[in-house]
Amino acid sequence: MSIAEAEASQLAVEQPSGLWSDAWRRVRRNPAAWVGAGLLLFFVICAVFAPVIAPYGPQESVGSLAAVPPGPSAEYPFGLDEQGRDVLSRIIYGARLSLLVGVVSVAIGLSLGMVLGAISGYFGGRVDGVIMRFMDLMLSIPGFLLAIGLVTLLGRGLFQIMFAIGITTVPIFARLLRGSILAQREADYVLAARSVGTPGLRLLTVHILPNSIAPVIVQATLAMATAIIDVAGLSFLGLGPNDPGLPEWGKFLAENASRLQNSAHLVFFPGFAVVFSVLAFNLLGDALREAIDPKLRA
Amino acid sequence: MTDTQQVDAAARQDTDLVRVDDLKVHFPSNDGLFFGRKGNDIRAVDGVSFTIRRGETLGLVGESGCGKTTVGRTLLRLYDPTAGRILFDGEDIASLSGRELRRLRRRMQMVFQDPYSSLNPRQNVANIVSEPLRVHGLAKGDEADRRVHELLDIVGLPAAAANRYPHEFSGGQRQRIGLARSLAVNPDLIVADEPVSALDVSIQAQVINLLEDLQNDLGLTYLFIAHDLAVVRHISDRIAVMYLGTIVEVAPADELYARPLHPYTRALLSAVPIPDPAVEVNRERIILTGDLPSPANPPSGCRFHTRCPYRQPTRCDDEVPALRELASGHTASCHWAENIESGQIQPRQDAVAGPPGGHPDAAAPRPVG
Amino acid sequence: MPLLEVRDLAVRFSTRGKTVYAVNGISFDLDPGDTLGIVGESGCGKSVSSLAMLGILPPAGRVSGGQVTFDGEDLLTLPDERLRHIRGNDIAMVFQDPMTSLNPVLTVGRQLTEALRTHLDMDKKEAAAEAGSLLDRVGIPDARQRLRDYPHQFSGGMRQRVGIAMAISCQPKVLIADEPTTALDVTIQAQILELLRTLVREEGMALILVTHDLGVVAGVCARTHVMYAGRFVETAPTAELFANPKHPYTVGLLKSVPRLDAVRKQRLDPIGGAPRDQTSEPTACAFAPRCAYATSESWEQLPVLRELDGATGAAAHRVACWNPVPERDLVAAGIRRPPAEGQSSAGLGEERPA
Repeated sequence: MSIAEAEASQLAVEQPSGLWSDAWRRVRRNPAAWVGAGLLLFFVICAVFAPVIAPYGPQESVGSLAAVPPGPSAEYPFGLDEQGRDVLSRIIYGARLSLLVGVVSVAIGLSLGMVLGAISGYFGGRVDGVIMRFMDLMLSIPGFLLAIGLVTLLGRGLFQIMFAIGITTVPIFARLLRGSILAQREADYVLAARSVGTPGLRLLTVHILPNSIAPVIVQATLAMATAIIDVAGLSFLGLGPNDPGLPEWGKFLAENASRLQNSAHLVFFPGFAVVFSVLAFNLLGDALREAIDPKLRA
Repeated sequence: MTDTQQVDAAARQDTDLVRVDDLKVHFPSNDGLFFGRKGNDIRAVDGVSFTIRRGETLGLVGESGCGKTTVGRTLLRLYDPTAGRILFDGEDIASLSGRELRRLRRRMQMVFQDPYSSLNPRQNVANIVSEPLRVHGLAKGDEADRRVHELLDIVGLPAAAANRYPHEFSGGQRQRIGLARSLAVNPDLIVADEPVSALDVSIQAQVINLLEDLQNDLGLTYLFIAHDLAVVRHISDRIAVMYLGTIVEVAPADELYARPLHPYTRALLSAVPIPDPAVEVNRERIILTGDLPSPANPPSGCRFHTRCPYRQPTRCDDEVPALRELASGHTASCHWAENIESGQIQPRQDAVAGPPGGHPDAAAPRPVG
Repeated sequence: MPLLEVRDLAVRFSTRGKTVYAVNGISFDLDPGDTLGIVGESGCGKSVSSLAMLGILPPAGRVSGGQVTFDGEDLLTLPDERLRHIRGNDIAMVFQDPMTSLNPVLTVGRQLTEALRTHLDMDKKEAAAEAGSLLDRVGIPDARQRLRDYPHQFSGGMRQRVGIAMAISCQPKVLIADEPTTALDVTIQAQILELLRTLVREEGMALILVTHDLGVVAGVCARTHVMYAGRFVETAPTAELFANPKHPYTVGLLKSVPRLDAVRKQRLDPIGGAPRDQTSEPTACAFAPRCAYATSESWEQLPVLRELDGATGAAAHRVACWNPVPERDLVAAGIRRPPAEGQSSAGLGEERPA
């Protein structure tokens, strides 16, 4: 009996640990996650408090028009652009759009992709076949090309762009979730829930989804990085948001690409902004992947 | 056992909790969506009949691929039967669906083999154990908590286990959690599919004892599915032996061991290693040749004839043997069961492995019973 | 000098700042033709020991002490190349899942002939002929035809036969079989055990059989070591061990399994509690928390293997226990018959001279 008691007291002392809280603990122990989170927090603060942080307004001319604008100086750390606007301020304001596009387009792609993937994986059979062939069709078109096509079709509004980028991620999420659900659907614990009499919807939402969603979450963080690059790319091609009042990193790059030789700061600084925001999401995504990988569980 | 046998046939009918008649479960083997070719169906269960009496443990043994798991799952209607009747407490449940099926699931429950995969890793123990209560609207809130603690206590787990997660427990403890879940709805029948085969031997014994205690205290009926004959014999009142989708022999547990009538049962018994070198050294083993044939394309006649060391020309290949009652409560499906038992038919010599090299201190087999 | 001599082998695993003391000093000798069983439950270190001997531990594990001497060479300090040579030629291993030792994308014939050609320096034709006869030797029907098949085209039992054929292809002096039948059905298990028995008898190689199944060692091994928490707790000739077990853990194992050939018991006698978590080095008897015979000595001092009844050499019965199970308890448990009954029914296997 003493053994059972010993076990009982041990159970009472230790904190219960769920798989999610275990994963969270591992994320916190990962230095890469800290760097990623720090960078991301920095960009979020820039976006939210842009009017407070930025020394000038995004459209405000502080210098004069110049063919070769002045580079970084003590007064203007990132220099000025050809219209005499402060580059630092424009990049800080630009964080708003980039993060917004990243988050919203992935949210659109994620929700559509998850619904399709869940239907496909849970019901299987003919439904699955039809949905998956359609996803394959979408995957066969390069994502960026698809986004260009959609933007041309829908117009250059901000929402249209986010929607277009979101759509390109749908097949990735759908396939990922479907595969993950298929792996869980026949698991014993799902069978156990069925034998208990658990109805279909609860089976999906309480048992199958929570166990299939981990890879999708990881993919989502990585997709945000891609979305930021995509919107920069669209802007670079002249398909970005057509509101001139909205500074956007990609558009910034596109407009100044030809000045790389004599005004490198106009390309480098927005370029760095893109690179570091993408890096932030990638670091976070990788840390998450490591944290929820079942193979790494003790 | 004897008093049950003396009860007349009509009364016995009434004591049956489960009655399965000519059950068939076939799985389609076509693949692909639009261009799939249709192959032979996998005949996982192909004409199985048996009964389980109220309060008894029926053991179902056989090797992997014999269909024993499919029988158990079909009984719980986790798979749909292709043909045949399943009477549960007098009601045909083979074609129930929806609400009626859910009502049925309050009366029969399952215990799984793998204590690691049969518990949802994202749910804590309280949620796992109370799932059946919630699903059937039997208890909520404090009442559910009380019931969870009661159930944990029944299976020998501390109350502190309730807010922990499955991965924090050992295999034996997890199997107890699974048992608590299946007991939550006060079922009449529990289908236990290899409930101890994933556990270490010392832990196996704990769980087997617990299963027996629960049966005594709660009046449960068990269908105990396993491949380990020693464990099945220990826990079962009667044992059914399956081979390739059919039942080849049914007998009371001790009788099956003392007097196996089907050649497959004989081979199975002789293959079980016995933890006693004195016995092992002197044993005559029937070594079956080859592997289990494909259930998509079972052999003609007696399904065991391709591996049977007692096979007799033509009849075994051509004629399907029926389950015949050869002694009271003891049925077997072999054309030659009597002749084999009397020694008239001997196994093929190459199928018998005797004591290696006539061991010098070979001992007589331990007397049985 | 024995063929294989293991002395104080110890293995640790380090993961995430935790150290697991998997094997804590095991010693044994193996002579040609010996059949040695290592029995224990999961996590006792029985598989890890055999991996450590061959230098194929997973990355987290390392040998932290001891020697493994084979034919005069210490395997633990040999350069990789020499060790690989010994592993292929002199010591071979059969795994629980034969797929781990077979390459799924190469035919069985190709894998067998390649092993033969590199290790035995055969030419293509010789190797092909030898591969065919090897498969024949391990009882695979139509051996020559099946050389062209891929591993997945074999059933579980046949695959294990292929695994054994691979292992014996270079006529090793030692065959280590790690749970070779655990994944198989009983009738197939009987076939494989019969094959191992035949191979040992006819090829004269030494066998180390690692298993959790007391019944399997009873039928195959001449000598058995019982392992608990990384140490041997009892070792004896198999017949003696089963007839006259002395360690409470051995007795507990024997009592907790139902026997097919004995009178049915009302209840089984499980060993209470759970195995020791091995995150610290044992300094006392590791079984004490689960043991009915434990005394204060058991909780304080590490028992070492010592001889019983003065028998030495091959007949030695050693036990690592402060309070070996007394005779009367063995009788009460039905493991040993009372002497009087033993005399009256001569020939009962349990009564044999120690």
